[in-house]
Amino acid sequence: MTSIGTGYDLSASTYSPDGRIFQVEYANKAVENSGTAIGLRVKDGIVLAVEKLVHSKLLVPGANRRISTVDRHVGLTTAGLLADGRHITGQARKEAQVFRQWHRTPATLKIIADRLGAYIQMYTLYSSVRPFGVSTIVGGVDKTGPGLYVVEPSGVYYGYHGAAIGKGRQLAKNELEKLNLTELSTREAVFEAARIIYLVHDDAKEKEFELEMSWIGDETNGLHVPVPKDLHDEAEQRAKDALENFE
Amino acid sequence: MDHFPTNWGRPNYNTFDAHATYPLHVHPQPSSSADGVQHTQQPIVTGTSVLALKYKDGIMLAADNLASYGSLARFKGVQRLQAVGDYTIIGASGDMADFQYLQYILDNLIISEEINPQDGHKLGPSEVHEYLSQLLYARRSRMNPLWNSVLVGGFRDGQRFLAYVDLLGTTYKASTLATGYGAYIAQPLLRKAVEGKEDTLTEDEARKIMEDCLRVLFYRDARSINQYQIATISAAGASISGSLKLETSWGFAEGIRGYGGQTQ
Amino acid sequence: MPDMSVLAGPQQHQFNPYAENGGTILAIAGADFTVVAGDTRQSEGYSIQTRYAPKVFRLTDRAVLAVNGFAADGNMFVKKVKQRLEWYRHAHAKDMPLRAIARLIQTMLYAQRFFPYYVYNILGGIEEDGSGAVYSFDPVGSYEREACRAAGAAQSLVQPFLDNQIYFKNQTAAPGQSHPTHLPLSDVLSIVIDSFTSATERHIEVGDGLEIYIVLAKGRSLQGVEGLRGLREMSSREDGERVFVLQRELKKD
Repeated sequence: MTSIGTGYDLSASTYSPDGRIFQVEYANKAVENSGTAIGLRVKDGIVLAVEKLVHSKLLVPGANRRISTVDRHVGLTTAGLLADGRHITGQARKEAQVFRQWHRTPATLKIIADRLGAYIQMYTLYSSVRPFGVSTIVGGVDKTGPGLYVVEPSGVYYGYHGAAIGKGRQLAKNELEKLNLTELSTREAVFEAARIIYLVHDDAKEKEFELEMSWIGDETNGLHVPVPKDLHDEAEQRAKDALENFE
Repeated sequence: MDHFPTNWGRPNYNTFDAHATYPLHVHPQPSSSADGVQHTQQPIVTGTSVLALKYKDGIMLAADNLASYGSLARFKGVQRLQAVGDYTIIGASGDMADFQYLQYILDNLIISEEINPQDGHKLGPSEVHEYLSQLLYARRSRMNPLWNSVLVGGFRDGQRFLAYVDLLGTTYKASTLATGYGAYIAQPLLRKAVEGKEDTLTEDEARKIMEDCLRVLFYRDARSINQYQIATISAAGASISGSLKLETSWGFAEGIRGYGGQTQ
Repeated sequence: MPDMSVLAGPQQHQFNPYAENGGTILAIAGADFTVVAGDTRQSEGYSIQTRYAPKVFRLTDRAVLAVNGFAADGNMFVKKVKQRLEWYRHAHAKDMPLRAIARLIQTMLYAQRFFPYYVYNILGGIEEDGSGAVYSFDPVGSYEREACRAAGAAQSLVQPFLDNQIYFKNQTAAPGQSHPTHLPLSDVLSIVIDSFTSATERHIEVGDGLEIYIVLAKGRSLQGVEGLRGLREMSSREDGERVFVLQRELKKD
């Protein structure tokens, strides 16, 4: 990397002469090394799915979840440094709670994404702090319908029909683009999500992984909950079958 | 510039605690007004009685839809029954602003204890009641009470739960409960109709008892109204009815001297 | 013209953080046992709030605490005493001795000297020397060890009866004989039940149910409790002090 040794990458409060903030770009590198996480915004809801890399067989299966619930109607998952992700989850919950305190009504997805963006951006301004090494997918269903956003380490955020972050994001995005997301039901989206996670997993390079999925939609009564076990297992089986046919 | 992100957005204490001698969580709060703090001395917009009873399948609660401003019937479509989590319904009389604050507190409690952790641990009625009593007792001990009497009804693991808590933190359980004016007028009727029959009363019979009590209250309590809601909590879960109208009859008034059309 | 100036200007209502919830408690110490009892009615004014709200609580296998006065304070106080006893257990791997619990209760009550727990406490149980003991407290922690004590709504009815029956006040022993220093358990239980039935007759705040805790010294025979209807054991082991509870109905009017 050309930037190394120039001294412009030592602090988030210093620009390089061509207007870049290297610390933020390094934070993006941390995200790229992480297990893939995807989000699908469909007709009546959203589905989140994560390729949770399991670094030890000694870990309890199903423990250390990477998808968390921020409010009744909002789910969140991060890719990058897991500890940073936990902090962002905590901050998102706080934002949802504070919004409820002020307005006595649940926050919309757009507001949560906006507040998270503002918070994450603050950590790109000072030499005393390090930008967050995570990209965040927030998804949910609010009064305006389904919403899906990705907040990047720079603090910038965009709304998406389909989102992918982490290692396998490029391949996952290709797959997401092939889907007719606005016509899919959440149930159908669960199968697609599982298939994509299995597809982008590189078992030549990577160790074991667990598929983790959550959804919000008409079937869940507007609540963000893990995908029920029977549906999860069915989707996982179909994903494995699809992979064999693919190869 | 303060380079500690945890301090961002917080008031700073440099003026009187320059050396940060206090641990973060006990930073003294600067008093907002020179005259000290105002506390609730009396309820303003109030709800009247709440009734509750045990029946065969669970717990039934009832309350009317009125929030009074003194003797003025100020808000006539107020819901005073509220589900808390999956197994509990509460009903509140007293200050309605304080009740709305309680609802907000309990909503946050459910989010932080059930929704966020997603660990399958749920709050049952006894936990909700304990939480409420600790909260109300703590507030009375600070001489800043939440001016309510609250009935907590619930059903979990085949067990019925019915208890009371008020602004003093006083608590008790019984198979029939009534707050406010209802403690004088409805409670004797409820006890007569329910005590000893908790395990045989059907939902329909219980509903009839409730309606009769609400009717007597509407006739006698000047702070009541003839619109009410009934809630049940049983193995089938919690359900709160829509707003219902009380059937009343005033024909007897014709026969009362000085009330009807008598000439002398 | 009466002075109306007091009525001018806003009237100040002060929030009253206390209530009085009626009921009565009593405890009697024997040579190698203690009995602690309380009725189960909870009331405010002329209203019965509930017919079953316990006022007597098992603290350890050798200590029982009865609380009477403002129920919310009482429940909170018992909760905090139990918490302190649990911490003691975790620190020392044994139950706190009775006289230590008594001093603990004094300290906890006096800590609230300027916003007192509005509660009269009676602590009963077995001392380390195996004797039955009763400690009674005022709301701010003054306490002494006694042979018997009544407190609460019907204290003024029950205590004179106890003075006569337990301390033999105004009774003259037969010539050449003296009064016994301790009564047998069966006599004490009869006195307790009579005290409460009488208090129920004459005091509107007493009634509904009676809960009697019986603490027996280590190794004492079950004489006096054997065969009692509806006796329930509350102790965690049979080879130490033992706690039993006995429930009786009282009139509900």
